[in-house]
Parts: sequence; C-alpha cells; structure tokens
Amino acid sequence: MFRFNMRHTAKLFLATLLLAGPLAYGGESDRQRWRLVNYWSEWCAPCRVEIPMFNALQARLIQHDIEIVGVNFDEDPHPTTLRIAAELGIEFPVLEQATVKFLGLRPPDVLPTTYLLSPSGEVAAKLIGMQDEQAIVDALATLGILDQPQLATEPQ
Amino acid sequence: MRRQLSLSNLTYALVLACLPPASAVAAAGKIDYLESPAATNSSLSRVTRDENGRVYLSWVEQLDAGASRLLYAELIDGAWSGGEEISRGDDWFINWADFPMLSVIRGNKAAHWLRRSAEGTYDYDIEATFFAEQRWSEPRIIHSDGISAEHGFVSMLPMPGAGTLISWLDGRNSKTEDGYGEMTLRAGVFDAGGTTMNEWELDARVCDCCQTSAAMTRNGPIIVYRDRSLDEIRDIYIIRQVNGAWTTPQAIHHDDWQIAGCPVNGPAVSAQGNRVAVGWFAAKDDHPQVKLALSADGGASFDAPVLVAGGHTIGRVGTTLLDSGRIAVSWLDTELEQARIQLTLYSPQGEFISSSEIATTSPSRRSGFPIITAVGETVYVSWTDVVDSRVKTARVGF
Repeated sequence: MFRFNMRHTAKLFLATLLLAGPLAYGGESDRQRWRLVNYWSEWCAPCRVEIPMFNALQARLIQHDIEIVGVNFDEDPHPTTLRIAAELGIEFPVLEQATVKFLGLRPPDVLPTTYLLSPSGEVAAKLIGMQDEQAIVDALATLGILDQPQLATEPQ
Repeated sequence: MRRQLSLSNLTYALVLACLPPASAVAAAGKIDYLESPAATNSSLSRVTRDENGRVYLSWVEQLDAGASRLLYAELIDGAWSGGEEISRGDDWFINWADFPMLSVIRGNKAAHWLRRSAEGTYDYDIEATFFAEQRWSEPRIIHSDGISAEHGFVSMLPMPGAGTLISWLDGRNSKTEDGYGEMTLRAGVFDAGGTTMNEWELDARVCDCCQTSAAMTRNGPIIVYRDRSLDEIRDIYIIRQVNGAWTTPQAIHHDDWQIAGCPVNGPAVSAQGNRVAVGWFAAKDDHPQVKLALSADGGASFDAPVLVAGGHTIGRVGTTLLDSGRIAVSWLDTELEQARIQLTLYSPQGEFISSSEIATTSPSRRSGFPIITAVGETVYVSWTDVVDSRVKTARVGF
C-alpha cells in the first residue's frame, strides 16, 4: 500500500509540473483537483462539436476546483498539437504526451472520450462518445463532486 | 472449438477465459523478416498483391520541411526492390488511420493520398494517380463535389476489366450548422487512365472515421464499413454489387454498439470465389473484442461471428484468405505499454488453428495499422516499428 501511494504521489506531482496551457497552475501548481480529461482529434467531427461546450464549461467548473484538460489522440508533437488546438478553438489546457503517460490513461477505443480523474489520479468515470453539458454535470453530480442545483444557478 | 457469440456481461469473462492466450500458443508458421526497402521516418505501409500473386509494398516517408512522399516496391525473388516514388507533396494530410493505398492489376496501378483542401483546415481531398503505359498520370481529385470537407478512408479494388473500384468516406453533406452532418459512403469505377466510369452514393449515413474495405467475389465487388444508425448504433455493414446493381446495405452482425463517437477502427474483408471473411473490432459496454464472420454466398449472409480476441485488444484488424481456404486475422493485443501484432489462423469453417506473434510494437497511434495479404499459403505483413521509426515487413508460411 505504501508503495502504491508513493507511486501515485510521484506521478501526480510530475503530472502537475508538466501540465501546460492557458490555465496554467501558477500559485496553485501543487494543488490536486478533479479533472475532466477530454481526448480529441482534429479530424473527429463529434470532438469538434464538443469543444465550445467544454470551453464554456471550464470557467464555471474551475470555481468548483474541477479542471478540464485535453489530449490530442493523434500524439502529434506538442507544438503541432498546440497549433491544431488553436485552430480548433480549444481554450482549455492541452496535455503533453509525457503528462498523459504519467497519468497512466489507456488511450480510448472511441473518439471523443472524456475521463473524470479523481484528485488521486483514479478514473472515476469514462464518458464515451460526444457529451453535452448536462451529461457532464450529471456525471459530476452522481459522483457527489458537484452540487448540480448550485451550478445551475450560476451565471453562464 | 468454435466460439459463437452470445455475450452478456456475465458470460464475457468466461468467454475470455476460454480464449487461447495469444502469447502462449506456439507459433504455427515460420516467420521470415524481410529487409525493408523503407527509410527511417517511414510509416503508413500496406502490402497488396496483384492477380498473379506478385506482392507490393507501399509506404510514406516524411521529408524535411513537412513534405511527404509515397513510394512502392515489388517483392522479387523474396526480396524487396528499391523504392520507387509515386508522388510527393508538402500539403498532404498525413494520418495514422487514414493513409494511402496502392492497387495493381495487369501491370496497371492506382494509388491515392490525401491533400488538404486549404491551409489550416481539417478538410482534405482524395487525390489519385494511375500508372498505365509506363507512366503515372497527373494526380486528380477523384470526387466531383468540389466541397471543402473531409474525404478519405479509401479502399481500392482492382476490377476484372483492369479498372479500379474506389470507395471512400465523403463528407460533402457533413457541413451542417452543428458541424456534425452525415458522412456518406461513395464509390466509383475508374478506368486504367483514371477516367471516372461510374460513381454512386452507397450509404447516406456512416461512421465518420473508420476505414472501409473492399473485396471481389464471384458475384461482384463488396464493400464493408462501419454504419451509423439514427440512434448511433455503429455496427459493421456490407454492400454488394450484384448484376451491376448495388444491394441495400445490411449488417454483418448486430453488435448493437451504441456510441456517439468514432472507434477509428474499421473492418477488413477478404474474398475467394464466394467465400468471404470479415474481421472487425467492437467494444460494446467498454469490452474490446475482435470478431470474424464468414460467408459462403458472396456476403449475402454470414454465420454467427467467431470471437478472435478480447480483453486488451485494441483492434486494428486485418483479414486475408489463403488458397487452402484457411483465414488469417491480424490484430493488436496490448500489455502495459507494449502492443503485440498477432496473426491468428482459422480453418475454412472458422475453427481456431494457431496464433503467432509477429512483432512487438507500441499501442500508440504512431504504430498505425498492420496490413496483411496472402499469396498461396504465405501471409505477408507490414507494420511500423515505432522505435526505429521505420516500416517493417515479414512473411509467414503456413
């Protein structure tokens, strides 16, 4: 058990250090959060449809200490990934492959897929296929991570 | 033992327990690794054959400054010839799952690649060139819509008259307000010089990003693909051309895999006379499986599928028929951070015979899709070695 915890602590520390994007961790870089990890690809139509929803949702979820991050399914070099992300209008952080590796996520069988990771790095939920905001909020509420009525009353 | 599928979650684990562990089965065939004609920074390979059993390899090499080139080689006396360039470009759409194909019949060749419609877009066109009278033709876009959209996942099938049947996914109807309109399946027949002889829309709503596959039966050409029903069932379908007319698409098997997304894992078909073998990947209820279904009537009907692999497979399936009627299925198995390219042999009746591990690779997208083709009782395999960043090939004798 001790070994397991140490491994995860190291993994999450490194993952936090490697996270990059417009919502950099700054002063909270060592703080662990619930994370929605969204796998996308530029040529995946339903992935592209989801992006505006995730863009809009991230500002609201971050207030609840829940962060949205993206993963380029195609494993392009990170500069290429950032260019594609910009072209697609992705406004949430996009992980480098090294970070994905540290998170230990199995690449999904379907695009898009969104994992919900607990602060300790465990997969709490796997949302397969295109999601809408309600599906995300429902998943968070079901796990007791989010007070759904509270989110519903917040300004969008 | 033939494994019929009637899988509930409860029986799933039991079925998996009955599967022969791929790594524990003795290699049934002798594997010869062939010296690759491809340079470093090569990938996206395919092996194919012509009507006389000549074997060809095509692949893509990355050049400096973002350019790419498509090459091919022929297997002569057991060794690959030097690579010959088909085309090159600096605006190609290079994708690990949607990549060029070469087709050869009676010395005539056809090859395709994807070219971006404009810089900074995810829209791309299918360009093809045709080799006849000792030269490659000027590349041309094979679809006539003129719409900036996604076009790809091509299958090429040599036709008896020396033309080529080309099928593809066509996004001309996908540009809806919500950005997720219908992807269509289309096909055309092109003569040896590349002139379009016929073109059809075969299915008005299919899965967006899975490979198509085509084969020639005694009755005519068949195309298999992943369908997309109105309620997002993504099962494998077949459409056949019989007496010059296309049949209504029909399911090969009802996996009932419902996902509002794309597996990026298309089916593979092979035919010999009217015997047809289709292999595919499905992951209903998040249980990944590779299945094989057989037909004795040119794809008009299929037996219940055989479970080829479960557990940790990530699919990327290939299928080919040997002269003896036996069937080889290739697929990727994963263990931790490694993937194994497996080649499993079945009897003409779909009974498991043996399984061989061809090579280890990476489960990442960079390892691409292994491709197989058979000549006689020999199966040829091509894949990308991620460590060497180079296309590799082997032949397995059964």
